[in-house]
Amino acid sequence: MPFFRLPFAATLIRHSALVIRRFRPRVRLAALLMGHCALVIAHSGTAGAQPLPHRAERAPEHAVIIPLSENWRMDGDIPTNVLLISLQGLANRDAPRVYLEYPTHWQWEIVRPLVTFMEKRHGTQFERLGLNDADTALARFARHAKGYVVWDREVRTSVNVAFTAAGVLDAIVVSEELIPLAEKHGLKKVEDLRGIFRGKSDFEIYSWAVDRYWDRCSRDYYAVLGGHAGMEMQPGVADFAVMQRAFCADLSANPKHPEELALLTDLLKRQNPASTVIGWHSYAKDTEGQHTTLTGSLGLKMEGLHNLPNVSYTCQIPLTPDFQFKNNHHVAPDEKLEAKPKVYIAALATDAMGIGTWTKPGRGEIPYGWQVLMGWLRLNPVALQFFYEDKSDNDYFVGGLSGPGYMYPKSIPADKFPPLMATAREFMAELDLRILEIMDYSEGNRHLGNTDLPKELVDRYYAEFPDAIGFINGYGTARTFDLRDGVPLISYDYYLDVNRPVDEAAADLEELIQLNPVRPYFMLIHIRESNTIEKVKNILSSLSEEVEVVPVDTFMKLAASQQTYRTRYQTEDDPIDLNP
Amino acid sequence: MTSLLRILSFVTLFQLCTLAHAASPLAGTWRIVPEQSTDFTPWRTYDLTITVDGDDVTLDRRLAWGRRAYEDQTSITVGPDVNLVPTDFWPDNRHIGAYLGGDKTQRISATWLDDGRILRLSNDLVLETQQGSRAVNILSDYKVSANGRQLTLIQLRSTRNKPTVYVFERVDTP
Repeated sequence: MPFFRLPFAATLIRHSALVIRRFRPRVRLAALLMGHCALVIAHSGTAGAQPLPHRAERAPEHAVIIPLSENWRMDGDIPTNVLLISLQGLANRDAPRVYLEYPTHWQWEIVRPLVTFMEKRHGTQFERLGLNDADTALARFARHAKGYVVWDREVRTSVNVAFTAAGVLDAIVVSEELIPLAEKHGLKKVEDLRGIFRGKSDFEIYSWAVDRYWDRCSRDYYAVLGGHAGMEMQPGVADFAVMQRAFCADLSANPKHPEELALLTDLLKRQNPASTVIGWHSYAKDTEGQHTTLTGSLGLKMEGLHNLPNVSYTCQIPLTPDFQFKNNHHVAPDEKLEAKPKVYIAALATDAMGIGTWTKPGRGEIPYGWQVLMGWLRLNPVALQFFYEDKSDNDYFVGGLSGPGYMYPKSIPADKFPPLMATAREFMAELDLRILEIMDYSEGNRHLGNTDLPKELVDRYYAEFPDAIGFINGYGTARTFDLRDGVPLISYDYYLDVNRPVDEAAADLEELIQLNPVRPYFMLIHIRESNTIEKVKNILSSLSEEVEVVPVDTFMKLAASQQTYRTRYQTEDDPIDLNP
Repeated sequence: MTSLLRILSFVTLFQLCTLAHAASPLAGTWRIVPEQSTDFTPWRTYDLTITVDGDDVTLDRRLAWGRRAYEDQTSITVGPDVNLVPTDFWPDNRHIGAYLGGDKTQRISATWLDDGRILRLSNDLVLETQQGSRAVNILSDYKVSANGRQLTLIQLRSTRNKPTVYVFERVDTP
């Protein structure tokens, strides 16, 4: 049993911060150290826990914004961008100092709203440097580096190795032409990767990096700097990797690359139990399903993506002392509702809080569920506070995804399941979440195979989350349904593809209503990422059938009142597709 | 003389039939034209190969999205008999919670129309949903354009208010 439970620890630390400010500096330091120790104890006492990244007592009064250009090509601005990202990781290692302003096309749309939020809520004054102004950035922050490491412009993979080296050697990452700039600011060469990787495979290159750096790398974080491949590179999460001294690679989890898969498996096995794999698989090598299945099979938590920005900064920003996570519950946990003979629809957006439509017009106009990435409690608490404070009355939060990080439960070994879910329970309590979303792509996806759960696994979820008022399964549609003691498990009955036109989507929903003639009919819709709320409204308003759109928690309570869906689990006949 | 005439008539009829079927305008490999077709996400490509041998027709379908692909083959005989076609997957609309059910057998009736320019199928199958089994009928018309280079597949599903229209271009030599 954990000594402190996380919500308690977080509350303790928040209150401590308030009290500590009243003391003299020396006493304040001692108190802070004690508080830090309490936090470490709290987390080390939690089964499957890992240490929190360094967290500041309070947000900084001043910080620097460095805008980055639109160009992320290897033959474009990548050299300057990776220099600035590595510098950010070093400068932020013991305090949040540098925030990178990614271009407007960047997948993570919260980069700018978070700045406004931190200015307003934390009082941080941001000083803005020029676009890609590495010279000024080094003038301000080179003191946090002990040197530079040179990557080889002829070998793309050498950038990932250079990020690893940057973390363990406290160095910035430069290409050949930026060496004079680094030396202008007093930095000396500590590693030179030029020439040594040419003609080598990724397996050989990363094996070299393992021999050279692995022993000095973090066992709590492993960084997957994959995603975009070829001439495009978007290593936005590398600042955090450098900060944590994480091993960086884009090793493949695809059986078609047996050497890389074997090396990756070996490395991940050496990581601490329940530790984090941050970043994203390489789009050129393997699939999301393959990579996440592998990490889950080792009991590790996945946190995406490769271009997740500014984590070295945001992970350190504490919640404001006056803040508490509060969801928009529409029903009490023990409340009972009675469904009427009609069609009930609930819509849930996934990934949409960071890379989707949270910041787009229309939010708040209809009841809408939003998947919360619970691991952000550790990695990005300031973003979670932003979302919780920015929510409208119609926004409802649901915990994701399958556990304390992005995991496929069918791949998690049974003995690793309880400690991981204990952490997820704590996250849900802290984040005021009562519904857990489960996704499993280990045996299929929305195209092929199945995304269903066997009964034995459903049993475990019900056992591990006794306070949940409902479970959601799927990503694409799925067929696992259950109802136990007033707590339903409902799979998505519809997947709103980003490219699905409004008229076809409306026809889809009408067809589902035809296919499910009994009333009440409970239709749970997965709104994928960048589908706008406006589009969803248009679809719903163009239906020829009468429906009632309800919040997700209300939906669960209604679904609990009358089971018109058949209890079903994964069967032996269900197709299996192992993510080619 | 009468016998000779009979034999000649039979041979001529046989040759005409053979020519007609060999020249079936439907036969060949077809690739979907997405911009002229109903949205068929989550798939990105749709290839259809039709083989015609007399009244025996085989439809080879390949739907793909990136590295993921689904292929199936439907072999039927055009005529009064119902074809029983075992099937294990229903890929037509992967956005909705509907899956092949029942005895996983499609019952397909097929007819030639307009001198073999159009193949019409009436397909009975069972779909499983969260509420159970539902009998569904799909009417499919495969029709070739006058110039023989375009194939249009129009499908009417009994449970869907809208038809789906898929337009293909011939990718082999007619």
